[in-house]
Amino acid sequence: MIHFDNIGMRYGMGSEVLKDIAFNLKPGSLHFLTGPSGAGKTSLLKLMYLAQRPSRGKITMFNEDVTAAKREDLPKLRRRIGVVFQDFRLLDHLTAVENVALPLRISGGKGAEIEEHVEELLTWVGLKGRMKSRPPTLSGGEKQRVAIARAVIKRPDILLADEPTGNVDPAIAKRIMHLFVELNKLGTTTVIATHDMSLVEEIGADRLHLQEGRLHMIRAGENTPKLKEEKFDSLAFDSGKLDQKEFGPKVISGDDMS
Amino acid sequence: MTKAIHFLPDEKNHEATRLLPYVMAVMVYLSALALMGSMMLHKGFGDWTESLSNRLTVQVTTADQETRETEVRKVMQLLRNTPGIEHVRKLNEVEIEQLLEPWLGAGNVTSDLPVPDILDVTVSRAVDINLDALNAQISKISGNIHLDDHQQWLGRFLRLMDMVEYTALGILLLVVMATICMVIFGTKAGMAENRETIAIMHHLGAQDSMVARAYQNRFMIYGLKGGVIGLLLAFVTLISLIYLSRDLASGLVKVPELPTVEVGILLVVPIIAAAISMLTARITVMRDLRRMV
Repeated sequence: MIHFDNIGMRYGMGSEVLKDIAFNLKPGSLHFLTGPSGAGKTSLLKLMYLAQRPSRGKITMFNEDVTAAKREDLPKLRRRIGVVFQDFRLLDHLTAVENVALPLRISGGKGAEIEEHVEELLTWVGLKGRMKSRPPTLSGGEKQRVAIARAVIKRPDILLADEPTGNVDPAIAKRIMHLFVELNKLGTTTVIATHDMSLVEEIGADRLHLQEGRLHMIRAGENTPKLKEEKFDSLAFDSGKLDQKEFGPKVISGDDMS
Repeated sequence: MTKAIHFLPDEKNHEATRLLPYVMAVMVYLSALALMGSMMLHKGFGDWTESLSNRLTVQVTTADQETRETEVRKVMQLLRNTPGIEHVRKLNEVEIEQLLEPWLGAGNVTSDLPVPDILDVTVSRAVDINLDALNAQISKISGNIHLDDHQQWLGRFLRLMDMVEYTALGILLLVVMATICMVIFGTKAGMAENRETIAIMHHLGAQDSMVARAYQNRFMIYGLKGGVIGLLLAFVTLISLIYLSRDLASGLVKVPELPTVEVGILLVVPIIAAAISMLTARITVMRDLRRMV
């Protein structure tokens, strides 16, 4: 589903923020993306949601070489990717319903059909009474759920979440994480960037660990090794070799989100 | 064709561009005035030159009454015998008074005022008269007879008319260029204000044309709004000017009138303004977006 081959990335003329990244994520897999601040997690996610192009190497997504894709071909690929941004990135002048409906409208969905679908999802994430509210009037947790609803409304093939629990209390963080696991069970390839190791341990999925721009694979249940990245080569691995059972996802219902 | 999606903040919250319709109104006002002025003068000059183009005027300025009358008879005979001349008529005293009144004032044309006899000659448009030969023959009758074919006058008029039209066209071009620059600036400011919104739309899979459509629709409405306001103001201004000129002209010059057909053409100016605004916004957005990933 996502294949990175010897990827390097730099901003402008700066030094590389990602170095020799190589991995392969199988369809329907779930991974955490961990690492200290500044390690390159957001940059790696940007490459995955096609907001940046790498400085070198090749990225294959949906069996297409996206590094060579024309600019006009990117929108249709992006529509297959759901993204939960760290800072939500909701449109403040639109209501919760309108925000969540955007991906459907962009894909050419019809009005009444969209509304019904969006309201159903917002109810499911516990925002039934907040549908007409605009983001500035929503709490952090509510915004987070609107952002998640927007990311998953189209049942994306890939779901990427950047610190999705960074702005919410532990209880909501747990529920959000369980929602991702649920979506993953439905077949969405999921990558969650987080600092919250307790949640990582609870879910028990494999980790893509970034340190100083280099990628290290840590299997579920293993501790983070003390990495001296200058001496480590990045690891290319195949997530398909992993035992998915070890992720231990919990199935949650819509009621759990309220 | 991509569907229009409402994703930009309301116009009233759009600090960078909410004044744009008023600036557009000024631009359309200026261009409509330039156009209307040009069209009115064109029509006025056109009527004038049309009325003079097949006319000759002969003045007999001999002081002695009897000699003058003889000369008038001779020259009228000559003119009537000249091929291509359709009609020769001597203006009567009342007509001459009417010609002089705008300059001298009513009742000031007295019988002792030395005025020439004037012959109004109508020439066939189909025949080309040799005016030099005619002039030579007239000179043989008397040195005090002057033939005026108005060509010198008409030539100056035509040059003036051309000048006025080119000036109006120049003004129009400048206004259009200024409008395009303004829309480019407004679009860029609007995009800078909503850069984050545009980035989010891109991440959600919006094509450039979707983003451009939102801007081009908005700027088309700005153009249309400004165009209608500007055109209305231009009409009010012109009608006021015509009304005032009627009071002041006193018959010295012909008061211009609003040409009906041309005024009808002006009604499309707001649509043109909207089209220019829309196209400029679209091109600007598409060009800017191409620089993004």
